[in-house]
Formats: sequence, structure tokens, C-alpha cells
Amino acid sequence: MADYEVFNADQKDPETPKKKKSFGIKSIVLILIIVFVGILLLTGVYQVGPSEVALVRTFGQYSYTQGSGIAFHLPYPIQSHEIIDIRSIQKIEIGFRTTSTGSSRDVVDESNMITGDENILSLEAVVQYRIIDPVKYAFNILNAKDLVKLSTESVLRERVSLSTIDDVLTSKRDVIGIETSKIVQENLDKYESGIKIENVYLQDVTPPKDVVASFDDVNNAKQDKEKMINDAQKYSNDVIPKAKGNAEKVLREAEGYAYEKIALAEGDAEQFRAVLKEYNLSKDITKKRIILDAIKDMIESAKIKVVSDSGNTLKLLNLDEMFGGDSK
Amino acid sequence: MKKITFLVLGLIIVIIILVFVFSSFYILDQTQTAVVLRFGQIVKINEQAGLSFKTPFVDNVEKFEKRVMIYDISPVRVITADKKTIVVDTYSLWKISDPKLFIETMRTVNMALSRIDDVVYSHARDIIAKYDFEEILSKKRFEILDSILEKTKADLKIFGIDVVDVRIKRNDLPEENRNSVYNRMNSERYSIATQIRAEGEGQAQQIKAEADKQVKIILSDAERESKIIKGTADASSIKIYADAFSESPEFFELRKLTEIYQNSFKDSILVIPQDSDILKYFKEVK
Repeated sequence: MADYEVFNADQKDPETPKKKKSFGIKSIVLILIIVFVGILLLTGVYQVGPSEVALVRTFGQYSYTQGSGIAFHLPYPIQSHEIIDIRSIQKIEIGFRTTSTGSSRDVVDESNMITGDENILSLEAVVQYRIIDPVKYAFNILNAKDLVKLSTESVLRERVSLSTIDDVLTSKRDVIGIETSKIVQENLDKYESGIKIENVYLQDVTPPKDVVASFDDVNNAKQDKEKMINDAQKYSNDVIPKAKGNAEKVLREAEGYAYEKIALAEGDAEQFRAVLKEYNLSKDITKKRIILDAIKDMIESAKIKVVSDSGNTLKLLNLDEMFGGDSK
Repeated sequence: MKKITFLVLGLIIVIIILVFVFSSFYILDQTQTAVVLRFGQIVKINEQAGLSFKTPFVDNVEKFEKRVMIYDISPVRVITADKKTIVVDTYSLWKISDPKLFIETMRTVNMALSRIDDVVYSHARDIIAKYDFEEILSKKRFEILDSILEKTKADLKIFGIDVVDVRIKRNDLPEENRNSVYNRMNSERYSIATQIRAEGEGQAQQIKAEADKQVKIILSDAERESKIIKGTADASSIKIYADAFSESPEFFELRKLTEIYQNSFKDSILVIPQDSDILKYFKEVK
């Protein structure tokens, strides 16, 4: 040090480069300080998205909530912020996971639930929720999101275990979703989580894979039953109208028969009367003529005519020969 | 050179001051509680978030989560009163209610978790063992949960832990029992299916039988009607004939007999005796 002071008494020549040198260090230090302060200040600049709010803390203690836009707070470590999405509806999947490719994968341990009548079914659900109170959300529960999932799983199972399998598969399906969302909400409110459950949607509610075949068989049986009844109905619709047609036919035939019968009778009767009238006018000769006409026809129409000697000689005729020998 | 020395010195002093300042203050987040330890001894519990002062180099600050924490307890097997094994998966919500007690008894959160594990498991096992499986699935479940919570709460209070809730996430049958449930479900369903088919067949038979009956009724009604019609016509015709023929029974007989003569001897063998009246002129000619 002393050396320098001695030299210091001297002039200009050493002075100039020294000044220059000290100016260089100063400026470097200055620049470093400016950069440092700048970086420090930059830690206070932040952006809040349209669906978000930021909770600003001063030395760790909550100070205020900042809405969306570009904002500035005092630099680290004085103030810090935490951004929370309060408008987007977020969803959690229970019993399955949608993979990045868009297909879904079953999570059997989550989806298998036991019903009140000790059956097992597979139930997949989606919970939709939103953060409505960012302050409560941030300061009351650690990882409150996880609570939504656990709580929903728990309540869903509880609801399912209070119902029978047939109810869950059919009529109570919607009720379970609604009840679950209500009870989960009550729980979350109790813990002051700042979360609102928008909906619990039951997706696939099905029997587990191992029993799908038998459940399908029940459905098939219902179809079969319908079909059998329809077939029977079809049969009924076929035979009854046909029978009615047949009945009409029988009736019309009978009526036809009756008309014909009476008409014939009346005709015959009139004919008889007409002939009788003439017959009465010349009884003897007409009677004879009728008889003789009849005998004439009779003899004409006979195939073989025989004139016998007397009534008893007929026995002598060789009948076998006459009829070709095969009547014996 | 002197200036550089000053600068370096100044820098060192500034750094020393900064270190001093930084180690005299600490920032406590709203979500945390601080326990100030001096040579391992608790001197202060600080719950006020913000900037706080401590004795530099001597005091050590440990921070603990103040919020409610979720602990997903791993599933355990328990046996019910009716000797069924079930897998119970629980979770609990807990928080450090007394940081002083907590740090004295537990030291770390991991220790606390394993303690919660033990306590919840032992109470779950004891309480569930008093109920039948069916009851666990019923509304009794709430009762069970309440008593598990109550006992767990009481046990963990001495560790400065407040258990806010214990809930059953899952209560399932173990893998090996599931198959028997599936078998039962299968046979139940198949029997339902059989019943439905039988009902269908029964109803179909009924409909068909009813249809057959209707057919018979319709046809036999028609048959009866037709017989009545025919019979009436037959009766009328008999009367018509009788009325006409009774005007001269003698002429009727004549007509009928001659008709028989005319029509009945077709292709027959007719034997006429020589002394019959029809041949009365036969001999005269001879």
C-alpha cells in the first residue's frame, strides 16, 4: 500500500491508466448491480391468465388476490405469488384413465365396487369440480385436489353398497350420481376446501367382465321372451281371421243349401200338381201309359233279358258262364 | 489499489451484514407453523405468518405444515364378525394441532404417518370384527366410521395430531373370494334368464291356446248356425213335398214306382216269366 502512495505523488502518466482501470471495475460492478436489481425486479412481474387469479403473499402472509392481466409485486423474497385457476372446470376420472392417445384404460381396483346384496359391479365415473374460493383452497388443505378424488371414491362406494346391483344398473343409476355429488360437496364444505363439485357423472356401469356373459344372457332372455310372445301374437293374428273367414264360408254354404233345397222342393211340388191335374182328367189311360212307359224303359235299360218258362226254371241257368266264370 | 482494498473490505462487510440479517429473520408462510429451537430445545412456537426475528446462529427454525393433510392409508385385510376377510382401504385427513407436542413425540411427518397407519389399522380391525359383512355394507357403515374416527382421534391427540376424518375408500373382497362371488352372480343370472324364457314360453302358449280356442268357438258357432239353417230348410222341403203329394197319394205312389222301374234295372239281368202280362201277346203271335 505504501508503495502506491509513494507513486501517487507522481503525476499523470501512471494516473491515467489507473483511472481508466478503476472506471472499468466500477462500471462492471455497476452493471452487475443493475443487472442484479433488474433480475430481482423481474421476479416481481407476473402474468395472470383469464381464468386465473393470483394470491400474493408478503413474507409468506397472504396479502391480496390479483385478477387477470400483467401484474407486479415487490421482488423476491419480499412478495411471492401463487396462481390458481378458478374458472376452468377440472375433471377427475374414477375407474378408468383416458390416455394421451384418447383411448381409455380401465383401473379395475377403482372401478370394482361391492353392492348391498354382495354382488360386484364395475362403475366408472367422472367428477367435475371448480375452485370457487382460492384462499380457502390454498390455505386450508394440502393437495385439496386429491381430496376430491378420494372423497368421491369413498362416497360412490358408500352409495353403491347401500343399493342392490339391479338398482345401480338401472333405476338408481342417476340418483347415485346426484347423491354422491351432494355428499361429497358437504364433506368438502366441512373441510373448507374452497372446491365446488359441479357434477358426478356415472359413465359405464356394468357387471364385471367375469359375469358379463350371464348378464347378457338375461338381456337375451328378455328378447327371447318378447319374441316368443310376438310369435304367439302373430299366430293368433293369423288363425283367428282365417277362422272367421271359414265360418262365413260355412254359413254361406248352408244358406245356399237351404235355398236350393226349398227351391227344388217347391219346383217338384208344383210339377207334381201340374201333372196330377192332367192325370185326374183321364185317369185310366194315363195310368196305363205311365206304367207301360216305365216297363219299356226298364226292359230297354236291362243288359240281359231272359224269357223264362215259368217262375221256377230260373234255377237251371248257368250263371257262372254268363258272368264270365269268376263269380263263384 | 487502496480503493480496491476498500471495495473488497466493503463487500465482505456487506456480506457479513447480509448473512447476519438473513439469519436473524425468517419468512413463515401462511400454510406453516414454525418451531424455534435453541440447541435442540423448543423456545418458541410461531404461528404468525410473515417476517419474524430469531437469534442468529443460535436458533434453528423447523417449519411444519399447518393445513389439513390427506393420507391415503395402504389397504389392509380385516376379518368381519361372520369370518369373512375383506380388504379395507382407508384414508384420513389430519393436521398438526399442537406443533410442540408433535415435534417432541414425532419429530417428522413420516413418523406421524406410520403412527396413523398403525392406529387406524388397529381400530379398523377391532371395530370391523364386531360387525357382519352385510352390516358393513349397510347404513351401519357410518357408525363404524364414526367409532374408528373417535378412537383414532383420541389415540393420536397425545402426539399433537388432530385426525379430522377417517373414511373408507374401498371395502372389497380379496381376490380369491371374488371368484366365488362371480360364480354366485353367474348362477343367479342364469336362473333369472331361465325364468324369463320360461315365462315367455308360458305366455306364448297361453296366447296360442287362447287363439286356438277362439278358432274353435268361431268355427263351431258357424257349424251350428249352418246346421240350423240346413235343418230348417230340410224341414221346409219335407213339408212342401208332403203338402203336394198328399193331394193324391195314389198318383204319388204310381210316379215313384214307375221311376224305380225306369232307373233301377240299368245293366241288370232281367228275367221275364212267359206268363207275365207283358208277354200276354207273345203266344198269340206264335
